[in-house]
Amino acid sequence: MLDVLVETVDRAVGRCDYADARRVVRARERLATRNGEVETAAVEESDGVGVRVRVGGAWGFASSSDPGPAGAQDALRRALAVAESQPAVAPTPLAPAPPARGHWQGPCERDPFAIPVERKLELLLSADAALRGDPRIVRTQARCLSLRTTTAFASTDGGACTQTRTECGGGILAAAVEADELQVRSWPGEHDGGVAGAGWEQVEALRLVEEAPRVAEEAIALLAAPDCPAGVRTVVLHGEQVGLQLHESIGHALELDRILGGELSYAGGSWVGPGDLGSLRYGSEALGVTADATLPGGLGSFGWDDEGVPGQRLELIRSGRLLGALSSRESAGAVGLDSSGGCARADGHSRQAIVRMTNVSLDPGDAGSLADLVADTDDGLYLETNRSWSIDDRRLHFQFATEVAREIRSGELGRLYRNPSYAGITPRFWGGLDAVCGGDEWRLWGLLNCGKGEPGQVMHVSHGTAPARFRDVQVGVAG
Amino acid sequence: MSGDALVALAERGLAHARGEALVTVTHERSLLSRFARSRPTQATDVDELAVEVTCVRDGRLATAGAVGIDDVALRDAAGRAAAAAEAAARAGPGSYPGLPGPDHDYRPHDGWDPDTAELDPRRAGAALQAAFAVAADAGAEAFGTWTAGAVRTAIAASTGLHGVDGLTDAYAKTICRDDRGRSGFAAAASTRAADMDMRSLAEGAAARLRPAEEPAELPPGDYDVVLDADAVGALLEFLGLLAFNGLAHAEGRGALAGRLGTRVAAAGVNLADSPRLARTLPRAFDAEGVAKAPRPLIQDGVALNVVHDIASAAVAGGGARSTGHALAPGGGLSGPVPTNLVLAGGGAASVEELAAPIERGIYVTRLWYVNAVDPKHTVLTGMTRDGTFLIEDGRIARPLRDVRFTDSVLRLLDGTEALGAHPRLVTEGEFYGRRFASGVLCPPLRARGWRVTGATPGGA
Repeated sequence: MLDVLVETVDRAVGRCDYADARRVVRARERLATRNGEVETAAVEESDGVGVRVRVGGAWGFASSSDPGPAGAQDALRRALAVAESQPAVAPTPLAPAPPARGHWQGPCERDPFAIPVERKLELLLSADAALRGDPRIVRTQARCLSLRTTTAFASTDGGACTQTRTECGGGILAAAVEADELQVRSWPGEHDGGVAGAGWEQVEALRLVEEAPRVAEEAIALLAAPDCPAGVRTVVLHGEQVGLQLHESIGHALELDRILGGELSYAGGSWVGPGDLGSLRYGSEALGVTADATLPGGLGSFGWDDEGVPGQRLELIRSGRLLGALSSRESAGAVGLDSSGGCARADGHSRQAIVRMTNVSLDPGDAGSLADLVADTDDGLYLETNRSWSIDDRRLHFQFATEVAREIRSGELGRLYRNPSYAGITPRFWGGLDAVCGGDEWRLWGLLNCGKGEPGQVMHVSHGTAPARFRDVQVGVAG
Repeated sequence: MSGDALVALAERGLAHARGEALVTVTHERSLLSRFARSRPTQATDVDELAVEVTCVRDGRLATAGAVGIDDVALRDAAGRAAAAAEAAARAGPGSYPGLPGPDHDYRPHDGWDPDTAELDPRRAGAALQAAFAVAADAGAEAFGTWTAGAVRTAIAASTGLHGVDGLTDAYAKTICRDDRGRSGFAAAASTRAADMDMRSLAEGAAARLRPAEEPAELPPGDYDVVLDADAVGALLEFLGLLAFNGLAHAEGRGALAGRLGTRVAAAGVNLADSPRLARTLPRAFDAEGVAKAPRPLIQDGVALNVVHDIASAAVAGGGARSTGHALAPGGGLSGPVPTNLVLAGGGAASVEELAAPIERGIYVTRLWYVNAVDPKHTVLTGMTRDGTFLIEDGRIARPLRDVRFTDSVLRLLDGTEALGAHPRLVTEGEFYGRRFASGVLCPPLRARGWRVTGATPGGA
């Protein structure tokens, strides 16, 4: 795979200041059932090349679905043309990176593409059937995803590496309707939290058939549950919701391109300024956050990012204090860092690498198990499984809703509430973090719908979290 | 590739498929240039050719993409699609009625502009220069995007159906930001790149920075509101998903379940899906090859119809037929949605005229990160962005900090008192995955009692 790429970047020498070329081969199988029938059977494969050049201070990128020499050379020609058509600006430094060499392969115990489609559909149909029975369940769904991505990369800096990642997972969902009320319950969540950098063993571990009756029962129970009362409350968040909270209000806010204003045309900026690195109090002493591209099983794990920088573990927040940010070679160079954080990632061959999350995770704490944390909470709410999310363009003011809430009274879980939501301001909210469950409760949650960039790019990331407790949270909407 | 060449490729792919099958060929060429802090930050040139084969077996569909366009690649894709469909069928017959027949009236439209299809990157460079110059004159920095695309789609099916459609699209936006962190926004969309006047857009964005006062913070509450077209379009796009999706409607999850034929909006609200109307991004057929046609959705405030693909129509029963709104062969898990929404204009000449009757309210330029809170009741939440202003005594006055709203779109349409006279094509221009340009043609509007539930703290 590398020969054409190396030849392409060799041809770029002397015509630009820097060039890299990536070939991405993808195989993706999506299977889904709906209401007891097979709904989706899609076996998608793609192959193509993307070439990026830098002329003065201007980038140019071009892609082709022809990964051969002709396609790659045409992409180089077009990348140079679009770079040269930009208004001329002085270049900014790129943080240095050692030449990426070798091959990296992600974990996969059981090749999901070797499992017959019939067997996968049998599992999904069994799970779907276990969701049905009550006539108030109007929609059932079971799905699984298998994805294999092989990437080759070469650059004028001497990079020449290949890597292969396998992703696999699944989920189930039940929607119940009665009168004018619609309630949805899912496992392990609608954001594909059950997908990991793994093989078919990941789907089996999710126990979709065994979880289905509980999911359906809870969807039905929600129809008759009272609305979650509004007020300022102590809130315990399930790990999946902690993951999305982390994603939106810490992960995106610490992308260095956003901090520098480079994403203002679409995804927005950040409430964090470049001068805040190393000094800003982001949250309470209980808050520790890392971005770790070396975590086994993470969707943000890799050998090298998409500009050839090795995957690495970055400490972002320690004891509530901001230490670092997610960076690429260009953004790191812009603030004078010695090296990139290795966070430049691209959605396939037809998109240019931009700053993305890897596996941004909350450090486990010392609050024991979820049961221990609930037992330690006198009065509050336990919220589980995200169903709605929104945050402003500086990642400061957010509002989330979850599928279920349960009252916590005198250290015990009590009545079920429907339609819970909460809102907050990022540093105040994380300042209210006073307990995180321990390592036994900590796990990775996948997230497949992280959108950013123009043209749009969807990135797969994981967040390692444990259930956590937050004080003084506005539950319900004001006004 | 020419339209004829794409049709020939689709038919060559079909020759490798056994049984009932549909081959879709898409050729995207596009340019996109981004800028930030009055510097170019990214310039992208995409040239992608994709072939997908869909096979139908006993009411089950499966789709496979080809890796390449030679006969080996096409045969392999056809084989994978057939194998997957047959595996699905062995799990039991499905309810998909079958691919459409050959008798479809694909109306020609004027959505292909040869000049735009030239995709000259120098046009992008000139647009960026214009934005930088205007921002500099205003003492601000420019951020934004210029993009143009030319996408042709050809289909061929074993039922005898075949056709080709082409659409060019262009989108440009500018955000001007001053040294206090305040920002203003302007955007335009069209089928013609020549319509993108970046200088004019930048001037419009810079004009929103003019009121010199510090932004005020508005407490939560219900406020009369003037939503500019970009904000209206963002809400209507969500309404399309939540209210007019024929699959959700048939399953009882839709917002209009049990409400068709009843009044759901003010009498002045007329909403349709109009894929042939001038100034939209027109299309001849949907992803299953069904011809696009106008479909009234809300007329004089009364909900009339939802939209269907072939699968959702089968679920709905009662003689329902596809209305040409499939986003993928077989419809997919999400179901059909309208992609050419048009909200009819009213009589107000300008946003200033819309604001005139409001004693104390809000003028909103655009929205950000809108998401559904309660889909059945079309309750959405989101933030305002890049230009939110207090309306006082009928005049758009001082700037406000961005606010969060949590409110029902249908309630907002029910409270709509007046509409602007000049609908504008608005879009987010996001282009995730394969380029599929869509937008909403809509005017600004004035509505009563928009529910504000929070505000961004200082610095916005």
